[in-house]
Amino acid sequence: MSAPRPLSLLCELTYRCNLQCPYCYNPLDLRSYRDELTTEQWSRVLQQAADLGVVQAHFSGGEPTLRPDLVALVEAAAACGLYTNLITQGTFLDDVLLDRLVHGGLNHVQISIQAPQAALADRIAGAIVHDKKLEALRRVLSRDVALTLNCVLHRLNHDSIEEVIEYALRLEIRRLELANVQFYGWAYRNRTALMPTLEQVRHGEQVVAAARERLRGAMEIVYVLPDYFGDFPKPCMNGWGRQFLTVTPNGYALPCPAAAAITTLAFENVRDRSLQEIWRDSAAFERYRGTGWMPEPCRSCERRELDWGGCRCQAYLITGDAGVTDPACSLSPDHASIASLREGVSEPVYRRA
Amino acid sequence: MKRTALPRFGKGVKLRHDGNGSVMLLIPEGALVLNASAAAALELVDGARPLAEIITAVAERFDVSADHAREDILALFERLEQRGLVQ
Repeated sequence: MSAPRPLSLLCELTYRCNLQCPYCYNPLDLRSYRDELTTEQWSRVLQQAADLGVVQAHFSGGEPTLRPDLVALVEAAAACGLYTNLITQGTFLDDVLLDRLVHGGLNHVQISIQAPQAALADRIAGAIVHDKKLEALRRVLSRDVALTLNCVLHRLNHDSIEEVIEYALRLEIRRLELANVQFYGWAYRNRTALMPTLEQVRHGEQVVAAARERLRGAMEIVYVLPDYFGDFPKPCMNGWGRQFLTVTPNGYALPCPAAAAITTLAFENVRDRSLQEIWRDSAAFERYRGTGWMPEPCRSCERRELDWGGCRCQAYLITGDAGVTDPACSLSPDHASIASLREGVSEPVYRRA
Repeated sequence: MKRTALPRFGKGVKLRHDGNGSVMLLIPEGALVLNASAAAALELVDGARPLAEIITAVAERFDVSADHAREDILALFERLEQRGLVQ
């Protein structure tokens, strides 16, 4: 099928990070990504993305502020007319760097905390960093740049969901993302340590619904639903190869940041071909684009253009076949495996290279 | 939002014009595709122009009654204000 227009490019500048969060979605083989793209290569990718119709560039990782050329890349994106978003854990976001980024055209910053309490947050991060994040949040709030506070929710911090909202309120944060952990990379490996309980999930839904009502007009709460608890799968990436592009630190173009796990597909590198060519006609992007690839029960399902069959990476991780209905869907023949994945308890394994 | 308000965009909110004439509002981690009248209204947002003036201008441009334009535009600004995209 002919390729639609992508709107969003996720630039994973590096997978290096000074934190060790066990819920990270980065791949387990972090060492395979050390041959990072150069400033010139990233600048070319940003221009190619803008030429494809992309309107937003998200700089993430790993920890993107570890790249010494981050300011140059934000400037390059802004020069192409792209809206720029920095997704960071904030521990290196000092006054000098932040001012240079804002001056360079940065539009939005997303800073994550691991929990609202320092002791728990530092335990999850595997590093003493929580207080530094608070400084970074205050810094961003005082500048002419938008801010989202993000907290990934899982079994170890889910009971603090009300305190996360209070934490954001005290700082007068306008936009809060409460994201239930999604099980990819290190998080998939740690799923038995991170899986929330059903009670936590139901309590979280009630807290968010009540807070949204109470804080209407003062704070927007984005709530990312848990993967393994609903009747229908998430509309992952709004469809494979439909609106989103990710480029990994070493230059592979992916339809989704978790897609490298699908070893049955051959992804292409921006060092070898332009982003336009890869987006428009690479076999890996074409493979699950649209609805033509769908097996039953997706093929005849009235929701097929609502959730696009769910997540290809999740289908692959759980069944070994990226081309089947996402097992998170209650209509999937593999749905029983979701219930078994919700079981079990373990200690988290910290992320390391 | 009152008709005497002087609307301005929140932090991190940008209007974007594409070559093909389409207009989008770029917002933190998203984009809203605007119809012609919403685009015309938001193009006039500068922090100095009162909402009432924006309504009149859009009504004239699209040759509709001021009442009709007022209803649509107030609803648009209400939604954007709730999300902190317009203040």
